[in-house]
Amino acid sequence: MEFYLGLLQILGVHTLLGLSAYVVLLTGQVSMAQAGFYAVGAYVAAMCTAMFGIHILPAVIIASVSTGILAMIVGFPALRVRGLMLVVATLAFGEMVRMFFFNFRWQIERDGKLIGPNGAEGFRAIRFFPENGWETGDVALFIWCIVVIVLGLLWWVDNTRAGAVLRAVGHDEVAAQSVGLNLTTIKVAAMALGGAIAGIGGGLYAHTVTHIEHGVFGILLATFAIAYPILGGLGSVFGTLLAVIFIQGFLVEGLRFIGDWRSLLFGALILLVMNLRPTGLLGERMSPLKTLFSRKSPVVTNAKETQ
Amino acid sequence: MDYYFFIDLIQSLVDGLLFGTTYALIGIGFTLIFGVMRKLNLAYGAAALAGTYVGLAAAFVTPLPPILVFFVSALGSGVIGYIVYLGCFRYTPSSHPMAALLASVGMLLFIDELVIHLSHGMPYPYPSVLRNAEITLGEIWIRGDLLFVFGICVLSMVILYWLLYRTSLGLATRAVSQQPRAAQLCGIPTGQVNALTFVISGVLGGTAGAMTAAAVGVLSPIIAMSLTTKGLIVVVIGGLGSIPGAIIGGLMVGAAENVFQLLRGVTERDIYVMLLLFIFLTLRPGGLFGNTEGRD
Repeated sequence: MEFYLGLLQILGVHTLLGLSAYVVLLTGQVSMAQAGFYAVGAYVAAMCTAMFGIHILPAVIIASVSTGILAMIVGFPALRVRGLMLVVATLAFGEMVRMFFFNFRWQIERDGKLIGPNGAEGFRAIRFFPENGWETGDVALFIWCIVVIVLGLLWWVDNTRAGAVLRAVGHDEVAAQSVGLNLTTIKVAAMALGGAIAGIGGGLYAHTVTHIEHGVFGILLATFAIAYPILGGLGSVFGTLLAVIFIQGFLVEGLRFIGDWRSLLFGALILLVMNLRPTGLLGERMSPLKTLFSRKSPVVTNAKETQ
Repeated sequence: MDYYFFIDLIQSLVDGLLFGTTYALIGIGFTLIFGVMRKLNLAYGAAALAGTYVGLAAAFVTPLPPILVFFVSALGSGVIGYIVYLGCFRYTPSSHPMAALLASVGMLLFIDELVIHLSHGMPYPYPSVLRNAEITLGEIWIRGDLLFVFGICVLSMVILYWLLYRTSLGLATRAVSQQPRAAQLCGIPTGQVNALTFVISGVLGGTAGAMTAAAVGVLSPIIAMSLTTKGLIVVVIGGLGSIPGAIIGGLMVGAAENVFQLLRGVTERDIYVMLLLFIFLTLRPGGLFGNTEGRD
């Protein structure tokens, strides 16, 4: 049981990571900086609870707000370039964050022990959950409450005007601009929202593993972040959720018995899906449940929607 | 600012410039592929490394002189480049650029894991030439093996230029990179040109991988990541799609990296290189020689 609850925790934080990339991907930008925001969120939240004794909920909110602001600051210059150049720019930012934490030392004494980030050794003893007597199940519940809130929020945003605006920018920048949308504002807003979500994910991650170090937040994590939404499909938030469950639940944990070969399988699977279903598992835009159950053919309802 | 510091500075600048030619080769590979297909191949660094391992594996089977090992590495990387083309770019629709990008990420993870799996993640010694030779110019001395790396890289660039500007294959490649549809109308088989570009850039990548391994002396899977990131940085500084830009960018990154290593130590070196890239991106998004008009 403990194992499955632990797995639930992993699924939760990875869903948040995937969702943070999902928001940015909606505007057609591929951001490799999500692992960087995730790292900043992890360090900030961990510093709040372990060094200054703040409760986890405000700590995560502080982490989320600070990564959101950071994402906005990074977003302004980075979004001057687009497409492939943005991939490189954000990749560089992610690596810069990682190298920063590799060199970052700030320790204070608490209960006779030195606590805080210690360069290459990482940040040890982020023990908020065990100190306050939270069981594995409580932690999993806490994480999933937050995940559900974020998922619901994004799903709601997706189905309002704001979601349509994001998608419009993603589909055709020139057309979006010609109907009076401010590209920079929208892209930076998406970036900030994505950064804030990544910060929440990172903050929760730091507390579930109790020890974080710079190596975790490398390019591999950044590729995972963009792989979830693209693999699942950009149609809705559930694509990301499905991809996370499939990769982390089935490929990483479910296939443990084949040992080292499963990481080989992971790359091969991405290749296969992208060749067979280039729009992702759930496709570009999931048809609403209404059209699935109604007698009218989906073509007719689609035509009505476009009017 | 004493005299010896100045000598150290010049020394690391020279070493950096010599080694920077490998970055330039990787950058040219990225640029060539981007030029003809307008797509980024993130699996490129991993493919180059895998090719280098092919050369090493050949040396395990039958003892080969170092030059032949380098040659087999380059050829192996060319073959892997073709496989990457088939796997990631041939069958993914061009209307979904993200599909090809993510497919190349999948290929990157696959090749990386395959290499780690087959080599058990252990670093292996890689042959080198002129290891003990050195040239002394006053207070500065130049390592023989680095000079050899420099020579081979420059030679491959010369061959590439000959290929691109003196053969009909090069003419076709340049035509496709300027206007794919018009090139197709003129009867140029764009699919074949694309595939050949992947092979050529694969050979360049294999050469760069072999030269990196020869300069370091060992071959380990970690090199793949640094090849990829450094190659991308070089391309952005030089301008996507520009070969002279990639060469100058490569030399700049090599030199900057070594100077920062001297000034700030090895752990902080990469931060400053990334910062340099970020500044370049914001102040000059098109790169040094980038042509942003009429593209995308």
